[in-house]
Amino acid sequence: MELPAKSHPVWADIVTGKAHYDLKFMAAKIFIGRCSRLIEEDSSPEMLKSCTEKLHGLYAKNTGNPAAQEDLKTISG
Amino acid sequence: MEQSILGIAETKAKILEGRTLLLAGDENALRKLPKGNWIGGTIPYFITRPLGGLASRSMVHVTDVTDAVAAFEIIRYDHGSLSRVFTDGAEHGFSFIVLPARSIAHLAFALNAPGYNDFGVRPLVGWISGVHLDDLGEVTPKVFNGQTGAMFSEGGLVLHADLAPGKVANVGIVNLFEQGDGDVLTFPVDGFSAREVLVNGVKEDFASYIRRNELDTRLPLVANYYGVMVNTSFQGIDDAEGEVTFYAPVFKGLQYKHAKPVEDYETAFKNRLEAEGQVAEDRVAFSCNCILNYLYSGLEGKRTEPFVGPITFGEIAYQLLNQTLVFLEVGDV
Repeated sequence: MELPAKSHPVWADIVTGKAHYDLKFMAAKIFIGRCSRLIEEDSSPEMLKSCTEKLHGLYAKNTGNPAAQEDLKTISG
Repeated sequence: MEQSILGIAETKAKILEGRTLLLAGDENALRKLPKGNWIGGTIPYFITRPLGGLASRSMVHVTDVTDAVAAFEIIRYDHGSLSRVFTDGAEHGFSFIVLPARSIAHLAFALNAPGYNDFGVRPLVGWISGVHLDDLGEVTPKVFNGQTGAMFSEGGLVLHADLAPGKVANVGIVNLFEQGDGDVLTFPVDGFSAREVLVNGVKEDFASYIRRNELDTRLPLVANYYGVMVNTSFQGIDDAEGEVTFYAPVFKGLQYKHAKPVEDYETAFKNRLEAEGQVAEDRVAFSCNCILNYLYSGLEGKRTEPFVGPITFGEIAYQLLNQTLVFLEVGDV
């Protein structure tokens, strides 16, 4: 299980809907759902950066959570 | 971890043993309890293991989390300081929140929680306290801080728990409602009420739309958050004012659909658990279900094992939910 770096494009791909993964970690799914809506309203680089950094942070702080661990395996392929 | 429905004397005994407890009961029942390591909210409706759904003004639903918790603190928040709810608390733990229904804190949390700093960094689970339906408008829902003996009808209480070593917590939900096949509904502003709705992108009067299409308002609006189905339940329709009210806010720009009906909650619930994989009873640290499911699906006398707990005026799993069973699972790493 590896946490992709904050700058890794996978985070932006997730919040913009470019990539869709079958995720399990509920907090992340709710957060992504909200981010998708925010980015639709404001697609500025600042908004994208804020969403990707927060999503990365959410997983970084939940590396002990089994659902988050499973997601990281999924994301890392 | 143990969830049980107890009388006042048995609950007192547990408190005096020094157990760490999450309590739910009628205000008059909770008032009789001594100070101790507990946090509570008012509600006289429960789902119990032996009897299924029941209403009782004298029993207390007791969730004992002593064995899962190494340390804890109870903090009172107002509608402003609630924004710290994800920031405060232990890094390796969970937070348990109770807010009184229709309080300013309840409304503030409902609208703002998804945008709070550090959203989701640790499990947040809890419920909205309520009253017996016969007492609506007469009695205010309350929350109790067992450590101080204080009781509030405004502001929220959070028990921030440090998990015992080797334990891990996870939040889950069981929502039997799914998006139906009907129109896509979006709203122009966030709020607990709406006059206008965009139906497949076309602006309409929402109350008229509901009447014309004969929508069953016992079924919620459902939004899809990256695969998590989140309900917003209807509270009422004021035809004179042209206003539709909800038990949770709708959010601007989010796509909602009216839910598909659930014919038999108890059977559908069992089928869902079998399909998704059972949660072991000994891992369920806390669970609660919604008063609207209790009423509309006739849960009195019905059972939803492995989940028991208070029947609530709103459920919290990171944010406010409606018509959803919420649970906190604690297991070994």
